[in-house]
Amino acid sequence: MSGWAQFKAILRKDLIRELRTRDMLVSMILFVLLAMVIFHYAFTVKEGADLTYFTGGMLWVTFIFAMLLGLNRSFAQEKDEHCLDGLLLCPVDRVTIFFAKTAGNLIFLLIVQAVAVPVFTLFFIERSYAGDVLPFLVVLLLADVGICALGTLLATISMNTRSRDLLLPILFLPLIVPVLIAATGATTLIFAEGAGFADLVARLLFLLGFDAVFLVAAWGTYDFAIGE
Amino acid sequence: MKKLVSAPALFAEAGICLIVGLLLGFWWAPVDASSLGFSQKIFYYHAPIAETALVAFGVAFVAAIAYLRTGRLTWDRLSYVSVRLGLLFSILVMLTGMIWGKAAWDTWWAWEPRLTTFLLVCFLYAAYWVLRSVVDEEQHRATYAAVFAIIAFIDVPITFFATRFLPEGLHPVVITTGDTGMEGSMLVSFLISMLGMTLLLAALTRRDLAIEKLKDRVADLKSTIGG
Amino acid sequence: MSDSPDRQESAAPLEIEVEGLRKTFGRREVLKGISFSLERGGFLSIFGPNGAGKTTTLRVLATLLTASAGSVQVAGHDVREDPMPVRRAIGFISHNPMLYPDLTAQENLRFYADMYGVEGREARVTELLERLELSHRRHDVVRTFSKGMRQRLAIARAILHRPRVLLLDEPHSGLDPRAVDILDGLLADIRAEHTFVMVTHNIAKGLELGTRLMIVESGCIAYEQAAGGDPASFTAVYREHVQEGPLL
Repeated sequence: MSGWAQFKAILRKDLIRELRTRDMLVSMILFVLLAMVIFHYAFTVKEGADLTYFTGGMLWVTFIFAMLLGLNRSFAQEKDEHCLDGLLLCPVDRVTIFFAKTAGNLIFLLIVQAVAVPVFTLFFIERSYAGDVLPFLVVLLLADVGICALGTLLATISMNTRSRDLLLPILFLPLIVPVLIAATGATTLIFAEGAGFADLVARLLFLLGFDAVFLVAAWGTYDFAIGE
Repeated sequence: MKKLVSAPALFAEAGICLIVGLLLGFWWAPVDASSLGFSQKIFYYHAPIAETALVAFGVAFVAAIAYLRTGRLTWDRLSYVSVRLGLLFSILVMLTGMIWGKAAWDTWWAWEPRLTTFLLVCFLYAAYWVLRSVVDEEQHRATYAAVFAIIAFIDVPITFFATRFLPEGLHPVVITTGDTGMEGSMLVSFLISMLGMTLLLAALTRRDLAIEKLKDRVADLKSTIGG
Repeated sequence: MSDSPDRQESAAPLEIEVEGLRKTFGRREVLKGISFSLERGGFLSIFGPNGAGKTTTLRVLATLLTASAGSVQVAGHDVREDPMPVRRAIGFISHNPMLYPDLTAQENLRFYADMYGVEGREARVTELLERLELSHRRHDVVRTFSKGMRQRLAIARAILHRPRVLLLDEPHSGLDPRAVDILDGLLADIRAEHTFVMVTHNIAKGLELGTRLMIVESGCIAYEQAAGGDPASFTAVYREHVQEGPLL
């Protein structure tokens, strides 16, 4: 009954549940694909408009809003069936719950991105970035960790309030701006001009730092966020 | 000593410093040599307001930690009051920044690091307010608000770095006066204004906290009588 | 305040000790200083009108709520200072089954078994599914279960890790007769060596099972006695407090 075993148990439970119902995944994937279509219509007002330097932004805005949808879903279940009580009755460190939930959300986000990125490339990217796939994936992963960690912490709080669905974006969006800036900058660079690790060092380190800082902050405060 | 830090005294001290700072800044310190010219003088207020806002959020941060550790609601009241004042000061920063921008570069708004950071800060702490308003139960409200105050404060410097450290290079308007060395008279005026603004924050915080405590007492009495 | 002459006679160690328990939600004081103790092997039946604070008391014992003041010890550990051993020692059955509707019965039990570190997980899960007559539905998702079946599975969840103390919040409510029989049979089976605290509106069950009876009203203990007296006289006291007591 180590923390690791409990972490795996919670993660496995969430994965089984999601893969069986596909609630979150379907909504998130549909949303992401729809958003892309909407972006096309929203931005190509002028004939031959060049969206190259908007691509990073479009991609990450979509992912962030998709994650907000997913987070609401994932916690609503725990709350509605009082399963959270069942979880809190267990002799488990609250922080273990945080890490397990964050990991689960991370996996779901990655699944959504695995579908979204190829479609996005098809719709909007003309220049091949095959040579920069690895840096791109690293940017993706680092930004995702920040998004999921912060999102999980805030969703834990907001799900206990009156207007849970509306509150989460308000809390989350101002906090995630740094990640948005760094990820968008890096992604646009990769899509528009091509960039290797050397060009992206500053942004990657920044994202890494962000992730580290907020994982620690969540570690320290999650007990309070989930309690009572 | 106690008399010096009582509420009315603090207001008086703040007032004196601010007025002196204003006078010195406008009449004693020389006009800025750079292209900013006279408009630079707003800096004597703009920068102190900015730093004071951050001090207020810092107080909220510390008070939030104190609340989580002790569970005493006084800390929550302090946190709440500090955020409110910090928000007020932040709005002032943006307003003075915009006025400065208009005077110096003839533009009301520019997406430059400091203005954008404070804009985000405003949204961040506005979110704190919204959070407080949707939690009915007092202890929960205080706990969640404290967690958010802690997270938010950590995010402020990070946001600043993000807007600065990763320049998009698309906006030429950059306010750099804060970095240029200030000579004697400018420095003195600036420091006095700083002191004045900080004292003002202390005075307002003290008064607001006292008001919140009174409100709590009234509510307590009401519930004892009313049942 | 409380009349319990058997406290001095009991030689069994105390499994639950509550001293001056207070709980405030905002400005509302729900528990106003509750004190009682229960020896190991005892069965405490708690009665009282709605809103009296019975469930709140139970949730504090279960570490789901933190007391505003007072000390609470369960299974030899303080619930505030040392909640982990307490959680390992208690099982909680409420009218919320606390089961994941999209997981199967087996998956639910396996999950909780992993969380509690139950040894011999598969054997234990199978044993309980049989005991509670749910083996034939072990691979069905809980969403498809009737209320009675969910309660049965919830009982399995609660005793999976062999807790010493069982906390029951109106466990008989909403159960079909078969489920009631199974629950009673189970309680009878594990009666020895276990300590129980049960909140209930069912006087008959409370009297039948309890070794100690308590009535909670407006956050205080209004009446307390050891079981074994005349049921009619207790019922009279009960009606006095619960039916005609001050309105909340």
